[in-house]
Amino acid sequence: MRRLLKAIAPSIFVFFIYIVYSGNITLFDIVTGLVIAIATGVILGPLVVEDWKKSLSLPRFFKLVTYIARYFLIDEVKAHWNVIKIGLNPRMPIKPGIVRVPIRSKNEYAITLVAISITNTPGTVVVDVDKERGILYVNWIYVVNEKPDITYKEIAEVFDRYASKIFD
Amino acid sequence: MKLRDVLFIALIIFVTFILLIPTLLGSIGATPPGDLRNIAKLYLYLTYNIFNKSFWTASPEAVTAIVWDYRGLDTLYETIVFYTAIIAALMLYSEILGQRDVVGGIGLSFIVKRGFSIALLAIIAVGFSTVLHGMLTPGGGFQGGAIVAVAPVIALIVFSRKLFDYSKLSYRLLVALRSLALTGIVLVPLIPLALTLGNGFIFQNQVKTLARFSYPSTIIDVPMGGSLLLLNLFEGIAVFTAFMLAFIVLLYSEDLSKKPLEGEDIGY
Repeated sequence: MRRLLKAIAPSIFVFFIYIVYSGNITLFDIVTGLVIAIATGVILGPLVVEDWKKSLSLPRFFKLVTYIARYFLIDEVKAHWNVIKIGLNPRMPIKPGIVRVPIRSKNEYAITLVAISITNTPGTVVVDVDKERGILYVNWIYVVNEKPDITYKEIAEVFDRYASKIFD
Repeated sequence: MKLRDVLFIALIIFVTFILLIPTLLGSIGATPPGDLRNIAKLYLYLTYNIFNKSFWTASPEAVTAIVWDYRGLDTLYETIVFYTAIIAALMLYSEILGQRDVVGGIGLSFIVKRGFSIALLAIIAVGFSTVLHGMLTPGGGFQGGAIVAVAPVIALIVFSRKLFDYSKLSYRLLVALRSLALTGIVLVPLIPLALTLGNGFIFQNQVKTLARFSYPSTIIDVPMGGSLLLLNLFEGIAVFTAFMLAFIVLLYSEDLSKKPLEGEDIGY
């Protein structure tokens, strides 16, 4: 039973990708899509989903959608703008270094989301993770300050706040 | 500016010109003619012609029709070559096939695992969509099977082979699945012959004037291409399992994969 409950969210995701990739909504697409989605969900559900209740929570899903929109429209643009300024400056004002960034997210998916978000914004790359202590080691293009509370605020705060709301 | 920089810029300009001149002078070759050749016209005219069904394949996708219908025998033999190649590769490792690996790895970091487990679902959806829409879009069994096969190949590295060694998708099950799919590929062309008691053709798809057998031309509400959908599906499963078997064998740890090679240094 638990296996079937865990299968629901992955099945919906597979069905969505199937329909989008096929580019059609005929009855044939819906029937074959459902078969593939349910089979994939039942087989891979336990591998992908830890807690089925969380995976089916609508508020968490809408939070994720808001986060994606915010991330690509605001955070990415800001980070790009900063790196463009550095890149075009003839004096190349960089001060690279690896800093400790403490984060509050505990769940593996949440930490993954934070780490990927940081790496995907230009100027910062996560080079290592310490899951037990909740610390990311980030290679930063311009180290403003090495203090953990400042690095957290500058690099990870927004991502961490959303990630723990979505996954924790 | 240093001399080195000047030389470097000169080199870039030089290489660009060297590549530019032959490209402009005609290594592009004659451009293809705008009008269709007769053979292309023939296929396009016949493949999905609902007004003249004497040679049609009931599939709007002419390339799939050529691959699995007009020259289906050719594709059948290609499949056999691939089948034999994988069997030969597996035979080299026959001593250790199906064994659990001696090294029990834990795979890559949880970030890669979590990221990939979402990509895994998408890869499978895209692969099966390619297989099942082979008669409608460019794609088909081999392409789709190869896409789906990417999922277990990456999973082998990301989750370590322990995931497969202890899962229900065992070596035996994969071989059985593959054999079933290949049996399907052999049976689909023979069914018309059997059902018409010898009055049909091998690889017959739609009805002909001499042979009344026909696979269904539509499935639910889209053109099915008769045998093309079945052949694509079986080919997809065969290719997926073949790649997966090959990689399961290739990614054995050194300790175990050396076993079949024992004695090579003294000529056994």
